[in-house]
Amino acid sequence: MTMTAPKTAVPPAPASGRGGRPGPQSTARRREALTGYLFTAPTVIGFLVFVLGPLIAALYLSLTKYNILTAPKFIGLDNYIRMFRDERLATTYGNTLVYVTAAVVLINGFALLFAVLINQRLPRALTYVFRSAYFFPYLVALVYVSIIWQALFQKDTGILNYYLTAMGGERIDWLNSSEFSKVSVIIVDTWRNVGFAMLIFVAALQEVPKDMMEAARMDGASEWQVFHRIILPMISQATFFNITITIIGAFQIYESIIVLTRGGPGDASRSVVMYIAEVAFNKFDMGYASAIAVTLFLIIMLVTMVQFRLRKSWVNNE
Amino acid sequence: MSNAVLPSRTVQGQDVRRRRRAGVGKSISVGLLVLGAIGMVAPFLWMFTTSLRDASHAYDLPPQWLPTEWDWGNYAGAVSGPVPILRNMFNSAVIAIAVSVGMIITAPMAGYAFAKLQFPGRNSIFVGLLSSLMVPAQVTIIPLFLLMRTFGLLDNPLSLILPGITGALGVFLLRQFFLGLPQEIIDAARMDGATAWQTYRLIALPLAKNAVSTLGVITFLGSWNAYFAPSIFLNSTDTATLPLALVLMLGPYGAGNVAQVMAATTIAIAPALIVFLVAQRWIIASLTQSAVKG
Repeated sequence: MTMTAPKTAVPPAPASGRGGRPGPQSTARRREALTGYLFTAPTVIGFLVFVLGPLIAALYLSLTKYNILTAPKFIGLDNYIRMFRDERLATTYGNTLVYVTAAVVLINGFALLFAVLINQRLPRALTYVFRSAYFFPYLVALVYVSIIWQALFQKDTGILNYYLTAMGGERIDWLNSSEFSKVSVIIVDTWRNVGFAMLIFVAALQEVPKDMMEAARMDGASEWQVFHRIILPMISQATFFNITITIIGAFQIYESIIVLTRGGPGDASRSVVMYIAEVAFNKFDMGYASAIAVTLFLIIMLVTMVQFRLRKSWVNNE
Repeated sequence: MSNAVLPSRTVQGQDVRRRRRAGVGKSISVGLLVLGAIGMVAPFLWMFTTSLRDASHAYDLPPQWLPTEWDWGNYAGAVSGPVPILRNMFNSAVIAIAVSVGMIITAPMAGYAFAKLQFPGRNSIFVGLLSSLMVPAQVTIIPLFLLMRTFGLLDNPLSLILPGITGALGVFLLRQFFLGLPQEIIDAARMDGATAWQTYRLIALPLAKNAVSTLGVITFLGSWNAYFAPSIFLNSTDTATLPLALVLMLGPYGAGNVAQVMAATTIAIAPALIVFLVAQRWIIASLTQSAVKG
C-alpha cells in the first residue's frame, strides 16, 4: 500500500490547504467561507433581531410583571401559576382545542375525499377547473373571506338562513349564539383551507403507482381495500404534513373570529390568540400575556417535533 | 385447458361489472366535485353581484346570483367613504412590494450559501434558522411591539417591512432548489475565474428564476393578506393596511354599508385573482413539491 501510494497520490496541495497552511487553496477556502458569511448575514441578522431576540425576550417577560409604564419586575413563575386559576384562559384554550380538532378532522377529511375524486381519470379541463376552484380561497386573505361570510351568516338577511328556511328549517343565529358562533368559525376555516390540503393529497396520490392498484384489483381487492391497504400507507407522508399544518394553523386562529363573532357571545368563540392580544394590548399585562404566548409556542414546538420524529420513523417513505 | 379458460371468463365478467360500477361511481364523484366547487365559488359570486347592486337592494331575497344591474356606484362610494381605502391600498402595496423585493434578494443569497458554499458552522446556522419556523408570530409579537415602540416605529410601515424582508421559509425553498443544481456548473464557472459573487449572480441566480418568482409571489400575497401584526403595529386610518381598513369599514357587527364593503372587498381580492390567473400552475407545483418531497 505504502509502496503504491506515491504513484497514485494526488499533489499535496489539498492536504496543506486542509491543514490551514497558507497557500492558494486555503486562501480560496477562506474566501469562500467569507462569502458564505456575507451571503447569509442579512438573513441571520433578521433572525437574531426579529425572531431569536424577541423569543428570548418573551421568555424573560413571562417571568415578570410588566405594564409598559414601569420597568418589568421579576416575579418568577407567578404568571404560569396564575394560568391555572384563569377561567377565561381555560375557556379560550378549550375553544381553540375545538377549532384544532375540527380543523384536523374536517379539513383533512374533505381534502382527502376531494383529492381521491379529483385524482380519477377525468377530462383534463375538468380537473383543472376543479383544482382552481378549490384552491382559490386559500390565496385570498382570511379577513376578506370572513367579511363575505359574515354577510352570508346574518340571521335575518343572510342567504344561508334564506335557503335554510326555504327548505323548511329554522333560522339559525350563526354569529351571536353560543351554540353556533364556533360552528361559523369552523365552517369558514374549513372552507378556506380545504383546497391547499387537497393539493398536497393530490400530489401524493399521483405518486402511487397505478399498476400496483390495478394488480390488487385483479386479485379481487375491493375499492375500500385498495384505498385502505395501498393508497393510505403510500400517502402517509402527505397526511402527516397536512395534519401538522392544520394543527399549527388552527392553534393560531384569530382574524376570522375578529370579523365573524368578535369572540362572542361572551367568550363563546374567543380563541387563545385573541385572549393573548387582549391581555397584552388592551390590559397591558405584558408579562402574563407573554406567559400564555409561551405555552402556545411550546405546544406548536411539540407538534412540529412530533411530526418530525414520526416522519422519520413511522411514515412509509419508500 | 378448461381450467385456464374458466377463471379468465369470471375475470371478464368481473371486469364488465366493475366497469359499469365505475361509470356510476364516476358520475357520483363528478357530481360531488361540482357541488364542492359551487360551494367554493358561490361566496365570491355573491360578493361581486352584491357590489354591483344599489345599497338598498343589497339584502334582497331570494338572492340573485348573477348581476342584474351594473351599477359601479358602490365602488365610487367605497373609494370616497370615510375610510381612505385608496390610501390603505397604497400602504398595503408599499409594504408588500418592499417585503417581497427584500425577500427575493436575501433568501436566494442565503439559500445558495447553505447549499453550495463551504463555511464553518454552516449546518448549525441553517438548523437554527429552520427552527424559527416553529416560533409562532404570537410569541414574538409582544417583544417586537416593545422594540418598535422603543425605536419610534409604531404606526410606521417600517415596523412591518423590516421583520418581513428576511425569513427562513424562503431560504429553505431556495436552498432546496440550489441543492438540485449540479455542482459541475458552479465548478466550471469558478474554474473560468469567476468570483463567488459572479458565479452566484450570473450563473446560479438566473437558473433559479422560477423558484425566485414563486417566492416573490408567495411573499407578496402573504404580506398583502396579513392582519395580525398590522393590527397591532398600526393604529391610525392613514397608516392602516387594506385588511385593517376593510374591517373598519365593515364596522362592529357588520353594520356598515354591505354593498360598499363588498365593492371594496372585490378590489382587495383583485391581486390574489391576478396571481391566480397568471401563476397558479407553478405556485401549486412549488407549494406541493416542497411539502411532499421536502
